[in-house]
Amino acid sequence: MLTLDLHRLRFYARIYAKLILLQLRAAVEYRADFWIGVVGAVLMNGAGLVFIAAFFSRIPAVAGWSAWEVATLYGLTMIAYGLREMLCDGIWTLRVQINRGEFDRLLVRPLSPALQIVTSLASIHGVGNVLLGLVVFLTATHRLELDWTVAKVLWVLMTVVCGLIMVTAISFLANVIGFWEPGTQSSFPFMVSNVVEFAKFPLELYGWGIRFLVTAVLPYGFVSYYPSLILLDKENPLRWLGYATPLATAAVTFVTAWVWRKGLARYQGVGH
Amino acid sequence: MSAATSTPVVTSPGRRPRYLAIAVTAAQQAVAYRINTVAGIIGNFFWIAILYYLWRAAFAETTRIGSFTWSEMRTYILLAFGLNALIGFPTASRMMYAIRTGDIVIDMVRPLNYLRTQLAQVAGAAVLEGVTSFTIILALGIGVVQILPPASPFAAVLFVISVAMGFVTKFLFVFLVALLCFWTINAVGLNWAQLAVVNVLSGTLVPIELLPGWLRPVAEWSPLRGIVATPVGVYLGQDTGWDLTLMLGLQASWLVLLWTAADRAWPRAFRAVEIQGG
Repeated sequence: MLTLDLHRLRFYARIYAKLILLQLRAAVEYRADFWIGVVGAVLMNGAGLVFIAAFFSRIPAVAGWSAWEVATLYGLTMIAYGLREMLCDGIWTLRVQINRGEFDRLLVRPLSPALQIVTSLASIHGVGNVLLGLVVFLTATHRLELDWTVAKVLWVLMTVVCGLIMVTAISFLANVIGFWEPGTQSSFPFMVSNVVEFAKFPLELYGWGIRFLVTAVLPYGFVSYYPSLILLDKENPLRWLGYATPLATAAVTFVTAWVWRKGLARYQGVGH
Repeated sequence: MSAATSTPVVTSPGRRPRYLAIAVTAAQQAVAYRINTVAGIIGNFFWIAILYYLWRAAFAETTRIGSFTWSEMRTYILLAFGLNALIGFPTASRMMYAIRTGDIVIDMVRPLNYLRTQLAQVAGAAVLEGVTSFTIILALGIGVVQILPPASPFAAVLFVISVAMGFVTKFLFVFLVALLCFWTINAVGLNWAQLAVVNVLSGTLVPIELLPGWLRPVAEWSPLRGIVATPVGVYLGQDTGWDLTLMLGLQASWLVLLWTAADRAWPRAFRAVEIQGG
């Protein structure tokens, strides 16, 4: 039984890699547009970094977090988000595909529709966010003189993988609304996706409403803040939640899978 | 385009109503997509909240940062985002996508001035999107955040004038960036770049005096400060006398310069159009 599942998993992984590489290659083809996209994405996040630089040039620390500790959160969030843009951005085409009736085509192919939708787009500009995020994260941890043990390296890898899955799952959840509300124009998914901005800063700054939102509703806090409590050895009553990062990610993934199936079951096509 | 103005049009009652009609249509479109409009507005609130909480924590330790007190800072944050939202991301996207998708040809065949048509459309949409979000932000400001009133009645009047100039400044900047879509298909990337540059140089994310040293002089003299920093500075009464005149003069000069540039740029951009399969 297990061997059979592993076999299928390997098959899916191979198909995924092939399809996403195809998309990435297509995206790089338009050289000038690729660079405009990368520069645009990097500037967007660079603006936030300018704010951090300005803010912490006046104040040494906020709520017990220094500039470089905040930069760690900022970097981790950027890496997860950028990886999603590069590798799992296809869900953003769902509403347009449903609206134009192109989604029918996915359903008749002998491959999981979720896999097909994930690989239907690769936003190559994500590479800018990943690289800037990496630079910010590595500079920050270097300045903090973080003592890199094997455990910490593994912890960061786990955080990044979980972060990628988390932001992908939430963007799925936000876009699946297309099955119920098939207009092509909607700011709703963008709004949900933008909640990730809160994860770039320590959560104890916010009021309880925002904290609850990014911990229990759209748990972006697990992309950066909670795992960082452990990475940076912060004293915090919620530190234990850091260890729940994989659990929280799994929970959101299951909910998303369930909603996705509900949506698929509801899909009726547009009358072709 | 000069042909349009020299041809006597009997049915058209003059210039203003034509552009007014375009503005009204744009406003109606914003009503039609109101969920969109509201979601766009809420998306804008996230950074207001982030900045508010960060500065609040900072001011818990000290009474003054730069020349700002806590009540001045929270007033600044709310007004800055409110003003910057008058022409939002969706408006800029619309301008860019019209070029990207080829809908622009409709504007090209209209016997109207493209720059003024676009200004009318943006103003129409802003009446709904911008003013709604500005009102929400103001309500939030008075009810929850407790912002300061204008420094004086005189400051209030100058603020309104400065906001009007800032609005057209932002429109012209976005317009010029949108024209680049005649040469690239990556409208989203351009829009992000535009947004980021405006957020920093206008003083929306951080007041200009608190910017890092190398960036400060650039922001100090750039046309973009007219969008946020100048009107909010006027509101708070930060500049008086000669400084105030200088700031408003700078804002007005940039406005004239940008308008001239935009007026010359669009006919050139129109020549770059390639119609596929035409």
